[in-house]
Amino acid sequence: MGCCYSSESETAEQDGDERKPLIPHPNPDSKPPNGTERNPANISSTRTDEQALLSIINKTAQNIIDVSAADSQGMEQHEYMDKARQYSTKLAVLSSTLSQKKPPPLPSLTSQPHQVLASDLVPYSDIQQVSKVAAYAYSAISQIKVDAKEELVVQFAIP
Amino acid sequence: MEATLEQHLDDTMKNPAIVGVLCTDAQGHNLGCRGSLSDEHGGVVSVLAKQAASLTKDPTDTPTVCLESDSGTVLVRTHGTITVAMHKMVS
Amino acid sequence: MTTALTQGLERIPGQLGYLVISEDGVLASSGELENDERAAGVIMQMVRTACRFRLHGAAEPPLKRMSVIFEDYVYAVTISGQKVFVVKRQNNQREPVTA
Repeated sequence: MGCCYSSESETAEQDGDERKPLIPHPNPDSKPPNGTERNPANISSTRTDEQALLSIINKTAQNIIDVSAADSQGMEQHEYMDKARQYSTKLAVLSSTLSQKKPPPLPSLTSQPHQVLASDLVPYSDIQQVSKVAAYAYSAISQIKVDAKEELVVQFAIP
Repeated sequence: MEATLEQHLDDTMKNPAIVGVLCTDAQGHNLGCRGSLSDEHGGVVSVLAKQAASLTKDPTDTPTVCLESDSGTVLVRTHGTITVAMHKMVS
Repeated sequence: MTTALTQGLERIPGQLGYLVISEDGVLASSGELENDERAAGVIMQMVRTACRFRLHGAAEPPLKRMSVIFEDYVYAVTISGQKVFVVKRQNNQREPVTA
């Protein structure tokens, strides 16, 4: 857009100011460089300026396809809805593969769940055994805490 | 001083049916282990024990979680602040 | 379909109730576990935790059944065909062993 506009204005300027006279001098057709002519000529010159600018803008506008404007202004509600639907279906496809990864599918532990559940329980002697191991381990840990305090005092006293 | 727990774990492993033993705190930190049970099992063991305890409203009824297979069982039991796992083969 | 799933569970000796759970929720429930969404949720968590348990870097968890043993009752749990089966059974083996 900027490219189109600058090339138009450059050619206009080149035609008006640079090509004919190399040294700038008053050119009433394009711009009023002198302050003296302003009061009477100002109104007409601003009109021609505006007209020139308008024609430039019109020409430029005809040659320009403003993608950003078309995208934001030309979108109607149903188009928004369509896009939203497209995005949500894409997301649904992606999230379904994601959710499959997150909780891994449950493994099948048996083909005969009823028999497995009805079979004998773990022997009570094993339950008693692990209870004892846990109780002894707990008392061993409790001793660690008490012993640690005493030994630390001894170690600090030696050196 | 730590010898008390280490000695206890060694004594437990003297049972030929027991192939692994592990002791962990409530956070899953490994306090000691032997055989088939190692550092990596501490987290699962302590979490399982906690989840099992939430199945009852009676705080005095301590559950034992058993992971049973054809070859053996891993038994998980909490006592106070520690949880023990014991891997026992089918005799 | 539900009856086929649960018929065998009802016949388990000493059963106090059962649950059949899928990823989407409770499919069937009965007895002391009837509509026990809380127990179903906790057991589902435990199943997921237990399935992460591996021995010696094995690909599958060393697991056929998970039992949660309380003083007077036991939750026996297994998985088959993407469904978690839970049976609450009486635990009456304590007296004869300790005696």
